[in-house]
Amino acid sequence: MKKILIVDDEQDIVESLKFVLEAVDYTCYCAYNGEDGLRLAKEILPDLIILDVMMPKINGYKISRLLKYDNKYKNIPILMITARSQEEDKLIGEETGVNEYITKPFELDYVVEKVNQYLKAS
Amino acid sequence: MVRILLISDRDNQKEKFINLLSRNKYSVEASADVQLITDLIKVETPDIIIFDTYTAIDFKTLSKNIKPLCEKTVVLLLVPDKFTDKELIKYANGFIFENSNDEIILGTISMNLRMKNSLEKLSDTNKDLQDSLYRQNALYSTSSQFAGTLDKKKLINFMVEGIDRALSFSLTCTLSFCDSEPVLLINSLHELSDEIISALKLRTILQYKSLFENGQVPYEIDINKLKVSKHIKDSASRFTFDIFHYDNMFAPVRLGDNFYACVEIFKDSPFSSDDATCFQTIAQQAALPLKSASLYQEIKETNLKLEKLERLKSEFISIVSHELRTPLTSIKNALDILMTGKCGEINESGTKFLDMAKRNVQRLSGIINDLLDLSKIEAGKMDFNFQNINIHQVIDYVKSTLSILAKEKNLTLIIDETENLPDINADSQRLEQVLTNLVSNAIKFTPEGKKITISSRLLNASYIEVHPYFQDEINKLKGDYIVVSVKDEGIGIAEKDLLHAFDKFAQIENSLSRKVGGSGLGLPIAKQLLDAHKGAIWCSSELEKGSDFCFAIPVAAEKSLCPAGQY
Repeated sequence: MKKILIVDDEQDIVESLKFVLEAVDYTCYCAYNGEDGLRLAKEILPDLIILDVMMPKINGYKISRLLKYDNKYKNIPILMITARSQEEDKLIGEETGVNEYITKPFELDYVVEKVNQYLKAS
Repeated sequence: MVRILLISDRDNQKEKFINLLSRNKYSVEASADVQLITDLIKVETPDIIIFDTYTAIDFKTLSKNIKPLCEKTVVLLLVPDKFTDKELIKYANGFIFENSNDEIILGTISMNLRMKNSLEKLSDTNKDLQDSLYRQNALYSTSSQFAGTLDKKKLINFMVEGIDRALSFSLTCTLSFCDSEPVLLINSLHELSDEIISALKLRTILQYKSLFENGQVPYEIDINKLKVSKHIKDSASRFTFDIFHYDNMFAPVRLGDNFYACVEIFKDSPFSSDDATCFQTIAQQAALPLKSASLYQEIKETNLKLEKLERLKSEFISIVSHELRTPLTSIKNALDILMTGKCGEINESGTKFLDMAKRNVQRLSGIINDLLDLSKIEAGKMDFNFQNINIHQVIDYVKSTLSILAKEKNLTLIIDETENLPDINADSQRLEQVLTNLVSNAIKFTPEGKKITISSRLLNASYIEVHPYFQDEINKLKGDYIVVSVKDEGIGIAEKDLLHAFDKFAQIENSLSRKVGGSGLGLPIAKQLLDAHKGAIWCSSELEKGSDFCFAIPVAAEKSLCPAGQY
């Protein structure tokens, strides 16, 4: 079973993502702040990470940058979730190696579809 | 008394002239000593010099030496009857022949005196004219300087400069209220001791107070705190307390109740009445631009405050909208999960209420998106991707996305496109947003079974006809436009509400949107987006018959003149 790490300080969002992703047979790991997220990512080596931008301690961009610069983790796809939708945010996302950009409020179906795209292909 | 100097070493001539002239009330001095002559001229300039050509003095040399001392003096030559030295004539105003009788001598003298007086008067008049012209010029250049700035400190400086140009003062003291605190500006020809400055301070304050009845001054001044700003032209020499004996004038600079400054001027020579007029004029002239400058400053400050408020508002909307999105996402996700039925079967009325919740979540998220869009456009942060596109693509896109919605309401969606329309320079996504908004409004407000027509055509701005409410919008258009119209057979809009159709949260929009859903921001956003495209939007409507919403986008030039990028 493919492993997905969900990192978001908004517990409700983590819950709902976990619910729909487990329904289509993914194993989900959850973290509610950037620090835990980064530690878990290194510990469990997930197949994909869903990452929120605005988080206390370490924000999503920083996590993304840290992982993408490390050969061991750089191939893990990252889906970035945020309430921001401005162009410059997308640019930062690209620069830090984010693979997809999902703007709140998102459709759960859309996220599942994106996850499938990355994980079914490989 | 007319003074005559006789230069002669012939006693008979001296005796003859002294006798004759003294008898006729002239004051006469006679000498043949060059040094004495020069001294006499230096002490008091004679009106007439009579030079005896027999005298053993070289007249040409003497003339060169004394001429600068007595430029206005008439020089007469006493010559023999047969006089032929043409060279000498150049140095004199006239002649007296030795053998002339007394009448002719006196006549020659008085004629020359009259001529001298007339010439002097003429030259005085000339000088007056020159002075007055100079003063006019000074006034003129000062008023043009006044017109060139809205800076109060500069205006006061221009005033002092202008007074200097026109009257060349020794010293001016200007008590100015045109800075954050009162300042005493001292412009002086020479250096001033601290004692004189203290005296000037006190004098100016007393004069300032004397301008107001019962000492009801607009600004209180503490002499110990009054700042002094000095400009000394020549700091090598000093003024003494004699300065207070100089001729002086004083004038306030004010307009109505507004008091800007008062200025006092000192000069080592007396002022004429023209000088006084000129001084008053400049002081008065300064008041009007100072008033404009004060108003300008107030407006600028208010504007800054407003800009800050506007920015705060935009930021506030943007932050709040972002913050709203997160909980909204959770609600939506929860509803979606429930609706999949994976948490247990949901009965019919349960589904109905879940639908209701979902619909309102969507509506709320639409409002948030619209608010964000609007705050972005208003803050000038909206990015536009201008490209040459065809309106056909836009209409096609909207038709494909909204035809299902129309079908659900059993509405006929008619597309009436003119073929081969020229390209427009536009952001296709934004235009789709505009057209989607107009068509979905039409769908919302049109009863089942009726039809909606989307048409497009090419029109010159001068042929676009609109309701008078929107004439201003059309007047700013020039050249060829693609005009898109969305015509429905819906409930329509009352004429009085047409004007407000594109206002934010317009009353009509509010009452309608509550019934049919929507943020009430769709049309204002459409208007802003069209403004960014240098286009226009307007509508016409009849109650119960339907509405016709139109927008115009300029046809692209051969080469795109409108660069892609930020609006």
